[in-house]
Amino acid sequence: MIGTASKLRDIKAINPWQRLLVLAMAVFTIAPFAPLIIQSLAFRWAWPNILPTVWWFEQRQRSPFPLAWDYVFSPSSRVVEATINTLGIGITVTLLCLVICLPAARVLGQRTFRGKNQLEFLIALPLLLPEAAIGIALLMIFIALDLAGTYVGVIIVHLIPTIPYMARTLTSVYQGHGTDAEDHARVLGANRRQIFFRVTLPMILPGVIAGCLFTFLVSTNLFLLTFFIGQGHIVTLPTLLFAKISGGALDATGAGIALIASVPGVILLIFTDRFIRNYPLAE
Amino acid sequence: MMRTASPAFMQNLRDVVEMTPLLVVLLGLFGGALVLGLLQSFGYAPWFGINEFPTTRYFERLWLSSDFWFSLGLTLYYAFAATLIGLVISVPLSIALSKRFKASRLFSALIRLPLMVPYTVGIALALVMLGNGGLLSRMSAGLGLIDDPSQFVQILKTHGGCGIILVYVWKQVPFMTLNLSAVLARTGDDTVEAAMVLGASSRQIFWRVTLPQIMPGIVSASLICFAFNIGAFEAPLILGGGYPDTLPVLAWRYFQDANYAFQLQGMAVVVSLALVSGLFLAAYLQGYRRFERARGRV
Amino acid sequence: MKKTKSRAKQMLLASTLAVVSWSGAVQAEDAPGMFRSEFLQGNMGWPEVTAKARAEGTVNFYYWGGSDIINLWIDQVATPALAAEGVTLNPVRITSTKDTVDVVIAELAAGRGEEEGSVDLVWVNGENFFSLKQQNALWGAFADRLPNSVNFEWDESDPRSLLNLRDFGVETGLQEMPWSGEQYVCSVNRAHVPVDQTPATFAQLKAYLEANPGKFTYVKPPHYLGNTFVQSVLYAHNPDGTGAAPYQKSFEELGGAELARLMEPGMEYLKSLEPLLLGGANGSPRYPENSDELDNLFLNSEVHFDCKFGVFANHNGLITGTYPEQAEEMIFPVGNMIKNKNYLTVPLNSPHPAAALVAINYFSSVGAQASKLQAAGMPVGLDLWRLNDEDAAEIAAAAPPHYGVTQQELDANIAPDTNASLVDVIEATWLAVIERKEDKPLADIVAQVSGELNN
Repeated sequence: MIGTASKLRDIKAINPWQRLLVLAMAVFTIAPFAPLIIQSLAFRWAWPNILPTVWWFEQRQRSPFPLAWDYVFSPSSRVVEATINTLGIGITVTLLCLVICLPAARVLGQRTFRGKNQLEFLIALPLLLPEAAIGIALLMIFIALDLAGTYVGVIIVHLIPTIPYMARTLTSVYQGHGTDAEDHARVLGANRRQIFFRVTLPMILPGVIAGCLFTFLVSTNLFLLTFFIGQGHIVTLPTLLFAKISGGALDATGAGIALIASVPGVILLIFTDRFIRNYPLAE
Repeated sequence: MMRTASPAFMQNLRDVVEMTPLLVVLLGLFGGALVLGLLQSFGYAPWFGINEFPTTRYFERLWLSSDFWFSLGLTLYYAFAATLIGLVISVPLSIALSKRFKASRLFSALIRLPLMVPYTVGIALALVMLGNGGLLSRMSAGLGLIDDPSQFVQILKTHGGCGIILVYVWKQVPFMTLNLSAVLARTGDDTVEAAMVLGASSRQIFWRVTLPQIMPGIVSASLICFAFNIGAFEAPLILGGGYPDTLPVLAWRYFQDANYAFQLQGMAVVVSLALVSGLFLAAYLQGYRRFERARGRV
Repeated sequence: MKKTKSRAKQMLLASTLAVVSWSGAVQAEDAPGMFRSEFLQGNMGWPEVTAKARAEGTVNFYYWGGSDIINLWIDQVATPALAAEGVTLNPVRITSTKDTVDVVIAELAAGRGEEEGSVDLVWVNGENFFSLKQQNALWGAFADRLPNSVNFEWDESDPRSLLNLRDFGVETGLQEMPWSGEQYVCSVNRAHVPVDQTPATFAQLKAYLEANPGKFTYVKPPHYLGNTFVQSVLYAHNPDGTGAAPYQKSFEELGGAELARLMEPGMEYLKSLEPLLLGGANGSPRYPENSDELDNLFLNSEVHFDCKFGVFANHNGLITGTYPEQAEEMIFPVGNMIKNKNYLTVPLNSPHPAAALVAINYFSSVGAQASKLQAAGMPVGLDLWRLNDEDAAEIAAAAPPHYGVTQQELDANIAPDTNASLVDVIEATWLAVIERKEDKPLADIVAQVSGELNN
C-alpha cells in the first residue's frame, strides 16, 4: 500500500500502459505515411520488395515524360488548380459561415428563451444525418437550380456540415465571456459598432479563430458533398485524389497527390495547435 | 409605434434578426433536401414526368429484396464496429494524454494528424499498407511467413471490411480523443483526487468517477462518428467487397443509372438510410438519458 | 432501346436548361446552322473553315483523362500545335464519356440547338456513339471532307474500310473520325510463366489455372474492358463455330432466344472459371473495377496475366513502371483478339464547330498521329496503306516496340467488336449470372434483362 501523499503526486504521471498506448497510437497514425512516401518516389515497386527496385530519380533521366513528382508538379496533373480550388472554397465557406453564425451565436450564447434546446439540436442535426442522404437529395434540387457543377453550388453545400461546428464553437465562446464588458462600454457611451470592434471582438477572437480553423478544415477535407454537387467539374484535392485511387490502386503520382492533399492539414496542425486544443468540436 | 416599443421588445427583435441567416440557410438547404428527398422517395418527380405520389412501391421493392437487408447489415456493421473500436481506444488514450510525460505536446499533435487530412488520404494509406500487395504483406513475405501475395490475409475488398473499419478508426480516434480531452480538461482533477483520498482503487476511479464525467463527450462524439460512418461513401466504394454494397454506395449506383426510375429508387435507399440512422441515434440518446437519470437517483 | 432510357434521364436537366436556352435562342440571330449546312453541302473551302475557326477561337475537347501520358501529350503537344493554328484547345478531362453524352442530349432536349451547346469535340466509340447517333445529336458527315481525310480508307468496296465505317457494328455515317485503332491484348509475366506454358486458348488458360489457381482475373463488366473479355469468350465458345459473325447483328435481328443459345457455352465457361480466378478458391472471386487495379495485381504477381485494350499497353506499362519488369505480350485468345477503333466526333450543338473540325484535322494528320503514337503509346487511327512512303516511314519509326510478339502476329488474330445493341444485353446477363448468381435458364435471364433494358 503506497501512501496517499505519493499516490496523489502520481495522479498526473503517466503509467507504463498508458505510455504504451500513446506510443502504439502514434505509430498506427504515422507509420502508414512511410509506404506512401516511398510509393511517391518509386518507379517500379513490386511485391515482395520492401523498397522499390527502380526509384523515380533513377529513371527520370531515361524517361521521355515526367514521372512521379515531376508529373505532380507539372501543369498536366491539375494539382495547382485543385489546390487553389480547395483553398479558395475553404476560405469562402469559412467567411460565409462566420458571417452567418456569429450573430446567431451571440443570441444562443447570451440569451435564454423558450425552445433554445430544440434550436440547438436543430443546428446539430446536419451532423447526425448521413452525408450521402444530404448530398444526393440536394443534388436533385441543385440540378434544377442549375447550381450543380458550379462553385456557388459547392460553396453552399459546404455550409451544411460546417455550420454546426462554427455555431457550436462560437456559442461556447459567447457563453464564456458574458456581457459585462459590453455593458461597461455602453455605459461609457460607446456605440454598437465601437462596442463590437473594440470590446467584443478582441475578447472572442481566439474562439473565432478556432471556429474558423475547424470550418476551414472541414471544408478542405470534404469529399462526398464536393463530389456529388461538383459533378466532377470542380476539382479539389480530395476529389483529385479520389479520381486517382478510385480504382483501388495507387501509383507514384497518386501517392504524390495524397501527400500534397495532406499538406494543408499538416500546416494547420503545426501553426494552430493551441487554438484547436481548447475547443471541443462536438458536444 | 416604433417610439413606444420597449427596449426589451427591440432586444428580442434584434435577437430574431440575428438568428435569421442561420435559420434560413439551415431550413432552406437542409430542410429543403429532407422534404424533397421524402417526396421523391414516395414517387413525386414531375421533372422526370413521374408523379405517382403517394406511392410506396419504391420502398416495397427495396424492402422486399434480401440484398437490401444485407446491404443495411453491412452498413450498420461497419459503422458500429468502427465507432466502438474508436471509443475503446479514445477513452484510455484521452486519459493518457491528459497526463504529464515527455514530449506530450508532440505526441498529441502526431496523434491528431488524421483529423487534419481528408478521408481519401486515409484510403490511400490503407491501399499501400493493407492490400495483398501492400507493405504488411511484403513484410510478411520478408519474414518468410508467406511466399505469395494471395496467402496474405485479405483485409481489403472483402465484406469483412477490416480495411474500411481501420480507415474510420484511424480518422476518428483523433476526433473522439480531442473531444474527450477537452471535457477532461474542463472537469479537472479535483474529483479524482477526492476519490483517491477516500481510498478508491484506480479501477474504481475510472468506472465511478472519470467515465461518468466524460460520458457527455463520449455520447456526442460517438453519435457524430456513427452518423458519419453510416453515410460514408468513398471508403466502402474503394475498399469494400463489391456487390452487395453498403447503402450509400447502392444509392449512388442507382443514381448513376441512366434509367430515371432508378433515381427514385436511390432516393428510397437514402431515405431508408436516414430513417435507420435516426432510429439508432434516437435509441442511443434515449438510453443515455435513462443512464443519466438513473445516476442522478443514486 | 437506349433512346427511352437516356431521354428520360435528361428530362430534369432539360427542364432547367430550357429557361437558359430560350433566352439564348432569342439572341442568336446570325442563323446558327448556316456553317453546318454550307460545309456539309461542300460549298465551303478549307481556308474559310480555318478562318471561321480562328474567329471562334476555342474548342472544348471532352476526353477520358485517366492516363498521365495521354494528358501530357494533349497538354504538351496538341495544345501548342493547335495554338499555332489560331485555335485554343480547352481539354476537359472526364472520367466517363457517358456523362458528356448525357449533357449533350440534355442540352438538345432543352432546346439548346446548333451552336448553343457546350461540347465541341468528344472522344467516343461504341455505345456512346450509338447513343448520340440514336438521339440525332451528331453534327454531320464530315469525316471525308477534311484535308487529312486522305489518310483514311473510305471506299466501302475495300473491306479494309470496315473499321472506319462501322463502330461496334453501327454505321458511323462519316459522323466520326477514327482517332486510334486498338486491340485487346494480354500481357504475361515471364517471371512466372515460361513460354511453353503460355495459354493460347481459353481451354489452355483453364488448364494453366488448374495448375496455378487464382492467377488470373478480368476487369468486371460493365466496364468495357470486362465486356470485351466476355465477348472474346463468347466468340471462342460459339456453338456453331462461327465465332464473331452472329454477334455482328443487332439485337432485333438476332433475337433473345438465339442470343441465349449462342451465349450458353461461353457463360458456362465463365462460371466454371470462377473458382480458379483470383480469390475464387475461398468462394469470392475478385474482379477488379478497372485497369489500374488489374495492373496493380499484375505488378505484384497476384495474377500472371493482364488483359486489356492496348496494342502498346505492355510498352506503356514498362515505361511507367506499372507493369512487372518481365512483362511480355501474348497471342491470346488465338483468332479472337478484338480490334476496334475509337473516334473523334462533333455534337450537333457544338458552339465552335469550325474549330472542332480544325482540331480533328490536326488530330488526323500524320505528324500528330506519329507523335501521339510515340509519346502516348496510342496506335494510329489512320490507314497506313493510304500514306506515301515517307509518311509511312515516319509512323513506323514512331511505333513503340512489341515484346515477345510481332505486329504481324497481332494483326493475324483480329476479331471484330460486338454489335453495340448486344453489348448492353451481354453485360446485364453477366451481372445476373456471375455477380448475382441467378439460377435460371440463360434464355430466361436474357429475356428478362433485355426486357428491363427496353423500358
